[in-house]
Order: sequence, then structure tokens, then C-alpha cells
Amino acid sequence: MKQKESKKDDNNLYVGIDLGTSRSAIVASNSRKEWIESFVGWPKDFISQQVVGKKVLFGSEALEHRLSLDVCRPLQHGVIKEGIERSEDAVKEIIKYLLKLAKPASDQKIHAVVGVPADTLKVNKIAIRNAVAESVNSLMVVSEPFAVAYGLNLLTNALVIDTGAGTTDFCIMHGTIPTEEDQKTILSAGDYIDEQLFSYLSEKYPNAKFNKNMVRQFKEQHSFVGELSEEIEVEIPVDGKPVTHNIKQEIKRACESILPAIVETTIEMIVRFDPEFQEKIKNNIIIAGGGSLIRGIREYVQDALKEYGPCHVALVKDPMFAGAEGALKLAEDMPSQYWEPL
Amino acid sequence: MLTTLFKRRKTRVKSDLLREIYEDNLRIIGQGKYPRKTGKKASVVLKSVLIGLIAVLVILANGNYWSPLSSSEETRTEYIEAREPGQTAALGTAGTLDFAASSRDVQGFMDIPDMPLSRVFGLDVKTIMIDPGHGGSDSGAIGMMKTKEKDIVLDIAKRLKRRLHKYGNYSVLMTREYDKTVSLQERVELAKISKADLFVSIHLNFLPSKPINIIETYYFGPPADRKTLYLAEKENAGSRFSLSDFKEIIGKMGNTLKLQESRELASSLQKSLFVNRRKVTSDVYDYGVKRAPFVVLLGVDVPAVLTEVSCLSNRDEETKLNTELHRENIARYLEAGILDYLNKGEVIYEAKREQERR
Repeated sequence: MKQKESKKDDNNLYVGIDLGTSRSAIVASNSRKEWIESFVGWPKDFISQQVVGKKVLFGSEALEHRLSLDVCRPLQHGVIKEGIERSEDAVKEIIKYLLKLAKPASDQKIHAVVGVPADTLKVNKIAIRNAVAESVNSLMVVSEPFAVAYGLNLLTNALVIDTGAGTTDFCIMHGTIPTEEDQKTILSAGDYIDEQLFSYLSEKYPNAKFNKNMVRQFKEQHSFVGELSEEIEVEIPVDGKPVTHNIKQEIKRACESILPAIVETTIEMIVRFDPEFQEKIKNNIIIAGGGSLIRGIREYVQDALKEYGPCHVALVKDPMFAGAEGALKLAEDMPSQYWEPL
Repeated sequence: MLTTLFKRRKTRVKSDLLREIYEDNLRIIGQGKYPRKTGKKASVVLKSVLIGLIAVLVILANGNYWSPLSSSEETRTEYIEAREPGQTAALGTAGTLDFAASSRDVQGFMDIPDMPLSRVFGLDVKTIMIDPGHGGSDSGAIGMMKTKEKDIVLDIAKRLKRRLHKYGNYSVLMTREYDKTVSLQERVELAKISKADLFVSIHLNFLPSKPINIIETYYFGPPADRKTLYLAEKENAGSRFSLSDFKEIIGKMGNTLKLQESRELASSLQKSLFVNRRKVTSDVYDYGVKRAPFVVLLGVDVPAVLTEVSCLSNRDEETKLNTELHRENIARYLEAGILDYLNKGEVIYEAKREQERR
């Protein structure tokens, strides 16, 4: 087949990029896989540039030095940090950095497919194209849940629930590009859990000192819904002294806070679909994104949907790279003549 | 046999998908065969105008207070269908007034009231309701690159909200915070329930037959002023009036206040949007402040305007609207317009008090 041939061609490097609110990942046809946290930081002034020793910092490094940087999380839902042009710059920098991580040979042409959260894509597609265009030879932009579905080969009768940081995207696949009606975005997602957890913890331990970043780390390490036999204990400083706190109930409450909206929207999406195929969709629900890492989420959703008849919920195997893998698959499957004008 | 069939089907689905993505991306960079969706916006506007018209007709049950005006801009000829047989051209095409005509019209009722009441009484603006047009199943206008009006206006509204929020002394609300369907009635209800003091509806224009970029701002003008005047004259002449008539007069006075304030707000917004835009590009036209029977504007009891901040049918403009910078700028102009309106009141009010002290 034509596609297969072009894949072997050493002059072309295909990359799939997942541009996420909290994390961005790249997977390339030279089998390199990398991810960074979607933070970009620029030194605030001359002195901070001396301290950090770089012009731009990324990911965890940027977070670490955040006190001396202007940090931008470019796709954060609806929020743009000071400097309105900055977040477009930040997208540019992230893409440049990711491509560098993919280590293309100097004479290789780069063909990239970029997956973007469905909501961001609506108003920013041209901006994102412009930001990416200068670093690659040709480029396509797709919505992220679609990239995930394509990567899993779920082209018909499937529902992808992509729980990210800023948003949870729902996408029904039925053999065509998902239209407006096949997609829905809600704001119950990772950042919302962080906020809830932050307020629950502040309420229960008013003397403990912690910040949003610590709360996010607690969530990432311990998130669960339903039942869990072990206790969750973390160290939080009180008056400067590290004290062990039990945060099990708060983690559970915070993680479960997003589920009613997700279940409700799942049902809504199924009900809206052609009745003849509803049964099939129900047995083909996939949870992707960081949310799929919450322990017990699969059982919880499946349980909640029980009353609507038998259903099957699965999790993606590698949520960190599922979007990027799907994008790469798209890039590799794309006939070569399609790449030319883009 | 069956499996090979199934496989073949899957391959076909796949190649179809790949082609669609390709075409979609071509459209983004503006090279694709883009279907010119012209009817969409017109039908949406038509719908809102129709609802508005019905409302107006109820108010105007006893007659036609509009003077006939020149009309017919080809892009909006649709409205003519909506015209009530008894009404002359003006009613049906109220949205199509050219600027000269409408300013003459504005002048007509500007003469009637003397003083914006809010300023005399020093009424404060506390709650600002921002209404991003369309949403959910109603996409509004769709540009050639498939940019949807509902997404752009929501983004601008969010930015405007954030900007106004910074001042701390206004509570800023939105009729929708995300992409959902909100009916016109619901928007009006929301404004009423939340006791909004200002109502700003944000829309994008769509002129399929003209490759220009225009900015215009509407406010709702039930032409009740002449009726009020008429009633007042009669009363001065000593005629006997029933209580309900007095109620009506008082009601109309409230309307006059709303009209005046709406006009002020509309012109502040229009000025800010146009002047600032003009500094950057000469390729933009001022279509001015107009009266139109949009139901969102009628139903709201407080100063209400509908502003068409940009023009999605213009190719360059659509590209620009897809950049954050441009949307932020529009939000900034709107912010400046609203503040201009609010501060104007403040100064006059302060001056009044100063005078009284002397």
C-alpha cells in the first residue's frame, strides 16, 4: 500500500502531538515518546534569567522556578495569564520543544497531526495552526477525543470520554468526523477536582499550609472513587512542622464530585444517538485522559449506567500517550498527497 | 468471507475519515471548497426579529407609530416577509435602516424627554449581564472556515466578564457560560431574575453579499414616546383620564428612561468599538446606532443593547477573530464602551449635586 511505503521513507518523520491543558505528549514514527507538563515560563527579568540560566523553561522545570518566571499554561480553560499574546507564544514554544524531544534528523521532513481539546479547537484552530506551522513541514489539526478514538481503532459505534484537566470531552464515533452533535464538553474535570479537594482540605485542616500545586500532587498520587481498603496519609506542614494528615475521605469526595455530571452527560449522549445503535454504543464506552487514572472510575461509571441495560466501560491503556498515539496513527495513515498543500 | 467484507468496510470508513480531516484542515487555512452558508444567519435573525415583531405588534395594537422609512438592504430583504400587512415598510425592515434615517428617527424621540432619570436619582449600576448570542444547537452565523458565531461571542463575553470583574464594584453575569442552547425568553428571564442593571448582547454580523466589515449596535425602541407625548398633551388640555391611562403614562416614562439609557449605552459601545478598530485598520465601516425590535432587548426592563462587534462573512475578519489577540481587543473595546457610559453618568450626577449644594 502507498501509506506503508511512505512510512518507511526515511526522509519523512511523522509525529503525533497531544496538546493538552495540563500535559502535552509527542509520539514520533522514529518510536520516540515524550511528554511534558504544559507549563511555559519566561524569566521575569534580567536577574531571574541569570538565576535560571535559560530563556524559556518547560514543564516541571518551569513550575519549580515559578517564582522567578512568568508562567503560562496556554490552554487553561478560559483563563489567559497576563500578556494576551503570551499564550500563543507558549503554544509555539511547547511545540518547538516537543519536536526537539522527538529528535528528527536534520534532513527529515516533519509531518505532524496535532490533537487539541475539542473546546479549544473551536475558536483557536487558526491560532494553533499558526503556532505550529513554523516548526513543521506539514500539519493537520484534529480534536483530541477523535484522535484517541482513531488510535484505538474505534471508528464506529463508540463513545469516548476524555477527562482532562480543564474539560471532559465526550465524542460519539459513527464512521465520520464527529459533528457538533456528536461532541459535548463539560467543565467537570481534573482542575475541578483540585478546587474541590483544596476547599475540603482547607475546611478540615485549617491550620495546615498547602497550595494548589501540592493538592494536585495529592490527587495524582491517591485519586480513587468507590471503596479503598488502605488509608491515604500525606505530610502537610503545620506551623512549619511536617504533620501526617489522613485525607482519604476528602480525596474520595473530591474525585466523586465530577462523576454525576459525567454520568449524566454519558446518558444524554447515548439517548441522543440513533436508537438502533444505542445498545452497541453502551457496550463500547472508553474513558481516556488523566481521569482514567482515578482508581475505581470504570466500575463507578459502569455501575451508574446499569439501570439503562447492560453496558461495558473500558479504560485506555496508556492515557498519557493515547491521544498522541492516535494522532501519529492518523499521520501515518494519511495518504501522502493529502500532506502536500498543508 | 464475512470478515473480509467487514474489513473492507472498515478500510473504506477509514479512508473517508482521513479525507474529511484533510478537507477540514484545508478549510482552516482557507483553501478548501467551502460551502457558502448564507441562509443560516438570516434565518436566525429572522426568527428573533419575528418574535420581536409579534411583541411590538402587541404593544402597538392601536396603530402605527412608525413613520415610513427608506429601507431595503438586499442582505435583509427576508424581513419584508415578516411585515404585517397593516404596517408600512418601516416595521418589517426596522433592522435595515440606514444610518441617516435612523439618526433622524432617533432625533425624533430624543427631543421628548429632558433628563435621564437614572442620573437625576443617582441610580447605580451594580449588575451587568453579558449575553453571548446563540449557543448550543443554534450556531449563529458560520464563516467560510467554519468558525461559529456562538463560539466567538462566548469567548469575547468571557473576556469582557473577566475585564469588568477586575473593577470589583460590578457583579458581572452571563446568560450562558458555555455552549448551551438558551432561548431568547430564557435570556430575558435571566436578566430579570438576577436584577441586571445593564444588558449587553454580543453578536457577529453576517453579510453574505458584501465583502465588507461593519460594526453596528442596536437598542430596542418601542416607539411609545409619541404616544406618551400625545397622552400628556391631552392631559394638559384637561381631559379626564382613567387610572389605567395614568399607569400607562408612568409605564411609558419608565420606557423612555430605558430607551434613553439604552441609546447612550449603545452609542458609547459603538463609538468605542469603531474608533478603536479604525485606528488599526481602515477596512471597517461604522453602521452606527440603530433601533430594532429584537426580543432580547424588548423584554429586558433595563438599558439593553445588542452589538454586532464584527463581521463573520468577511474573510480577513474571520481569520482575525480566530486569534486571541483580536478577541481580547474586542472585549477591551466593549469594556471601554461600558465604562464610558457608566462614567458619563457619574460626572453628570456629580455636577448636579455640586449645583444643588450651591
